[in-house]
Amino acid sequence: MKTEIQQLKPVWRWQVNAVFALALIVVSVIAISIGPVNLNFNGIISTMLGRSSLLTDQERILLLEIRLPRVALAALVGAALATSGAVYQTVFRNPLADPYLLGAAAGAGLGATIAITNSGKSFSVVLPIFAFLGGVLAVLATFLVAGKFYTDPSSLLLSGIAVGSFATAVQTYLQQKNSAVLRPVYSWILGELTVADWESVKWAAIYIIFALGVLIRISKLLDGLMLSDEEAFSLGISPNKIRMIAVGAATLATATAVSVSGLIGFVGIVVPHIVRGITKKATNRALLSISLFGATFLVLADLGARTLIAPAELPIGVITAFIGAPFFLFILKAKRGRAQ
Amino acid sequence: MIKVENLSVSYSDKYVLNSITLEIPDGSWTCIVGPNGAGKTTFLMALLGMNPYSGSIKFNGKEVFKDMHRNVAFVPQRPQIPLGMTVREYVGLGRSKIDGWGRERKIGRALIYQTLEETQLIGLQNQLVTQISGGELQRVLIARAIVQEPEIMLLDEPTSALDLHHQITTLNQIELLKNKGVTIVSTMHDITLGAMYAERIIVMQNGKVLLDGGAAEVVHSNELKSAFDHGISVHTLKDGHTVITANKVRNELI
Repeated sequence: MKTEIQQLKPVWRWQVNAVFALALIVVSVIAISIGPVNLNFNGIISTMLGRSSLLTDQERILLLEIRLPRVALAALVGAALATSGAVYQTVFRNPLADPYLLGAAAGAGLGATIAITNSGKSFSVVLPIFAFLGGVLAVLATFLVAGKFYTDPSSLLLSGIAVGSFATAVQTYLQQKNSAVLRPVYSWILGELTVADWESVKWAAIYIIFALGVLIRISKLLDGLMLSDEEAFSLGISPNKIRMIAVGAATLATATAVSVSGLIGFVGIVVPHIVRGITKKATNRALLSISLFGATFLVLADLGARTLIAPAELPIGVITAFIGAPFFLFILKAKRGRAQ
Repeated sequence: MIKVENLSVSYSDKYVLNSITLEIPDGSWTCIVGPNGAGKTTFLMALLGMNPYSGSIKFNGKEVFKDMHRNVAFVPQRPQIPLGMTVREYVGLGRSKIDGWGRERKIGRALIYQTLEETQLIGLQNQLVTQISGGELQRVLIARAIVQEPEIMLLDEPTSALDLHHQITTLNQIELLKNKGVTIVSTMHDITLGAMYAERIIVMQNGKVLLDGGAAEVVHSNELKSAFDHGISVHTLKDGHTVITANKVRNELI
């Protein structure tokens, strides 16, 4: 009997996370090295470790001021979107929930459009702030509209749809009225990481790492949200409280990601499902793996975005959907095959 | 001891429970029966203490509302099935209250294993909860409640999804817990089955307690028949067992 007990798998495993972390580092180094000017590995690694550089001054600036912040931002945004998606799927007990569900995307889109229409050419400074505020305000509005039914996931979803549609309608109106802004708004909506500099990385990192820290810390309690509220209560948690903390932190991460990168679709849905396929664990039990995988996924997607049709650049949202959708279908099909 | 006094619950001005007063002694099995909409599940929910009620429900002298310290296991009629969780992990959730969420102490792990054995789930432990049958799920829910080591166990229609054989094995399992001193309160549609196991039966109708007493006494009372609009008959078999059946109404009489 004793051996049988030991055979039961432990609930948390760190090895998977170690592999994912390693993958993120390798992919990041590759992404940093590839571009119009290729940098060699030894040079990158010795420069990053602060040793005497094997790179020219120009290459150093390219590495430290352009490539590195961009890869860092991609990793942060990927981690934020994937983790928030996973948390939303758990909270709303719906495998197709995505981080933009409660109006964050539409709100951020409206905020961005207001910034672009009102501040002329210098919009890039205020755009992230407006997008962030738009996203957060839209989610708050969703909760207000749901009113006393905010604890009921499906009521919250419905009010999210209503708020999202309203924000999109206002955004479209503004866009049509100022047709000159169509192009920048459109390219923002498709997602872009071109604005990456250390300042935006710093701000994004503060919010996103804080939010992800909260989510990973409460991730074990999220088990309870997958049960009915009564079951969760009988097992000793207040489902409403946990739900509010989870949605709040996920919204903060999402709004931050959207404000620095525009709307990058599909990451929040696809990554949690892929990771669940690999780790065979309930989504909330693998949040750290999902963060790491999301980061890796977006670093790769961004690499594709800036190299596939170089010197031009593709919107990163196009890449995530382009790779993500077929990959997702492939996984679904493989899963069905196994089930039969 | 659970002491219920003047308990009322209302949804939008309509009373679902209407001033109920009763006591449930420790280590007993109380079965609540009654027609659909009588307030059985609402009564169970009130005992759980999650939703507001008026009046008072005291467990060992303490009000149960929002009291997280009590250890009450709840077996729902329609559970929410989590994606990607194995039977073993799902049963393990029962330890969360004592061991902490996402944690398993050695003693808890041993209990989980022992319970999986006893409920004949050991072969299913690595299956996903989404992929097991209704009868297996019911056993899994009971197993989760057992590893919770509760003082009180609330069960909403624990046998409704089960075939005859599994109805009996499930109820036997619950009886074992009762014998260990756990207070059991269950709702059940099948009064015959309820009377076989519970020592006390409460008949509810329109949010009120219509009848409350020992199983045999309640089963043979006229009030029971009136609670079901005289649509049932009570038969006593040669071996002393009582069977309650619904009266068949012939088509030509309607």
